[in-house]
Amino acid sequence: MTTPRITRRTLIGGSLATAALGALTACAGTASGPATSATAAASTSADNPFGVAKGSAVDAVIFKGGYGSDYCDFAANIMKTKMDVTATINTTTTIAQELQPRFVGGNPPDVIDNSGAGQIGTATIIDQLEDLTSVIDAPNYEGTKIRDTLYAGVLEPGTFNGKLANINYVMTVYAIWYSQSLFDDNSWTPPKTWDEAYELGAKAKEKGKYLLLWGKEAATYYLTSLLASAIKAGGDEVRLNIENLKPGCYTDQEAVKGVFAGLGKVISAGYMKPGGSGTQFTAAQAQWSNAQDALLYPSGSWIENEMKSQTKSGFEMTGMPELGLSASDAMPYETLHAEAGEPFIVPSKGKNPAGGKEFMRAMLSKEAATNFSKTRLAPTIVKGLVPADGFGSTALVSQVKMLDGAGSNVFALQSNAYYGFNKDQLVVMNSFLDGKIDATKTLADLQAIVDRAAKDSSIAKIEIK
Amino acid sequence: MAAATPRKRRTWTLDRVSFMLVFLGLPLAIYLTFVVSPLLQAIGYSFTNWSGFNSNQSFVGLDNYVRLADDAVFMTAVRNNVLMALVLPVLVIVLALALATLVTVGGSSYGQTKGIKGAGFYRVVSFFPYAVPAIIVGIMWGLIFDPSSGLVNGILTGLGLEQFGSYPWLGDSRTAMPVMLFVMMWSFVGFYMVLFVAAIKAIPAEVFEAARIDGAGRFRTAIAITVPLIRENVQTAWIYLGIIAIDAFVFAQALNPNGGPENSTLTMSQRLLVTAFEKGQFGMACAMGVVMGVLTMGFAGIVFLINNVTGGRDRVTMA
Repeated sequence: MTTPRITRRTLIGGSLATAALGALTACAGTASGPATSATAAASTSADNPFGVAKGSAVDAVIFKGGYGSDYCDFAANIMKTKMDVTATINTTTTIAQELQPRFVGGNPPDVIDNSGAGQIGTATIIDQLEDLTSVIDAPNYEGTKIRDTLYAGVLEPGTFNGKLANINYVMTVYAIWYSQSLFDDNSWTPPKTWDEAYELGAKAKEKGKYLLLWGKEAATYYLTSLLASAIKAGGDEVRLNIENLKPGCYTDQEAVKGVFAGLGKVISAGYMKPGGSGTQFTAAQAQWSNAQDALLYPSGSWIENEMKSQTKSGFEMTGMPELGLSASDAMPYETLHAEAGEPFIVPSKGKNPAGGKEFMRAMLSKEAATNFSKTRLAPTIVKGLVPADGFGSTALVSQVKMLDGAGSNVFALQSNAYYGFNKDQLVVMNSFLDGKIDATKTLADLQAIVDRAAKDSSIAKIEIK
Repeated sequence: MAAATPRKRRTWTLDRVSFMLVFLGLPLAIYLTFVVSPLLQAIGYSFTNWSGFNSNQSFVGLDNYVRLADDAVFMTAVRNNVLMALVLPVLVIVLALALATLVTVGGSSYGQTKGIKGAGFYRVVSFFPYAVPAIIVGIMWGLIFDPSSGLVNGILTGLGLEQFGSYPWLGDSRTAMPVMLFVMMWSFVGFYMVLFVAAIKAIPAEVFEAARIDGAGRFRTAIAITVPLIRENVQTAWIYLGIIAIDAFVFAQALNPNGGPENSTLTMSQRLLVTAFEKGQFGMACAMGVVMGVLTMGFAGIVFLINNVTGGRDRVTMA
């Protein structure tokens, strides 16, 4: 039984090489020149501020996540009726992978909902995007200037070095969420500071519940929440230091140290449900919204829609502003971390950029924005469209209440997403929430991530105001 | 004599030309277009600072590789992959060989050489996991190891081990990697068992019978007869498993999409994806791909070398 060795070895060698090549070919692409076949623009007028050609087509690629995409179909229908412009809506869950070749090839779509885990980093493509200020300064379909219909501060997260590159469509309120009915049944009052939260933790323990819980992919929700706490406690200067990657922004700011110590105390007292670092995040969230193992959960306002099918009936999900440090905090308790999310972009090299802008105008019309709030139970950046009953959602009512209460005391946090820190921060935050490292070590590790980026000359920095 | 016979002249008949075009030209063209040229392109990009989303790229020499060497996170990923490439093949091959031996020659000591009772059943059952797509295997085991509602902690607490009430198997840096290796082993062992079964079946039964008559026990037979005779198959399996371990993308992504606690299960392929599409650094990502390719080649080279040095060069023949 002699095996023909050469043959088999050649075979192995061949398959080996193929496997190695597979890894390499994954990142190959073709760089080619820009396509040049822009749709001829019509002249601009009050009714047609971007000069979009009648009968032209708009190529839209929409991220299909928690909000679905039918709200875009709705806006496309309005645009068809008003302007005789037809939009083709394509959806994907992986924006970057799908559109990367089109950006390289110079034929990107006319409008993109650049959202989700696979979004394209804004820093990467900002040079290829239209400045959308003209959309904001145009009148909406009802005749009011769009800028005047928006909530305060919603354009900031999409503005980079003075250029409005993203229109973030959905208003996201960052808050601590709880079950109103559970709190009522136990006569608990929602805590306003980390110390009060600690006391509530003891009461929860008596009922066999935890104060907080987390899931591994969402450990940084706690970072987002703590940063908001620190900014409330220490004032706007804290935010500017963090956002602009200043040395010592984590390790040397008293407010930041204070809130991390506050959560650290909760964790070491055992009020954080253990095991989060091994739990898939929606499974963890269901332990809060369905099993009610924990009382509070820090998250953005997408939480209601995300957990819709896994929320206990009669839960009465309600939000409250992020926790403060003490009564002497620099900013009022009602201060809110709220920012517009779901960034829409219009590439300059698309065939019909005017059509892309027109699509955004349709999205920001009263009719389309109301439709979104009604069907998705989330406010858009267009204010005043949610009725007092919040279309029957307690979470939506509380969001609008928080937004109204905050008034102009609203801030956004941009740097973590802009520089893509999340993956590295998750590692640190999981260890912290797990009780493996204390608050001091956590802050040192977070500082190291910032310092590395600050020193890296290949990363273009932006100034955040 | 040979010189006297004129070499038969090969004529270019239509039949011959079309045969060559279809069976040689076409595969070669496809191979060059879809495998070799992207490969060269990727190597080329690895020397540029191309972002991947425009057509601007300038040559930066070995800059990307230098930065990779300084990148603590990527080096962690390299170490993880190397560890997996060392451990996974051993685990899978030892277990697969043991199972293959049991179902082929591990049976009764009397009469014909055969496997244990119900061998056919075990063979089918242990192949099942391989028929399940990797992503489903990953998600399923992720749920089994869930701290609060997973089967593993459920059984352990049921046995009275209360400290496992919410132990995060995949969230603790001490256990995350062993768990991932276990899941991969579970998934692959059936396939390699079948591979070894086929190889063992090709060995004439007389060899085993002779060994038995000489008084060799089952274990002795396995290591002194079976393994040397299927050495080539073991080497093949070793290389395939090494390639799988150096990639490991699907399992890593399903079990710990963020690289696990303290990046303890992060793989190079995961880092490559993030670098390319989230950070928009395609040049750097291509350099990572090159590193993966080189490591894979190196691994295969080492396996060949070890096999030769340890006597794989001496053919075992049974004429």
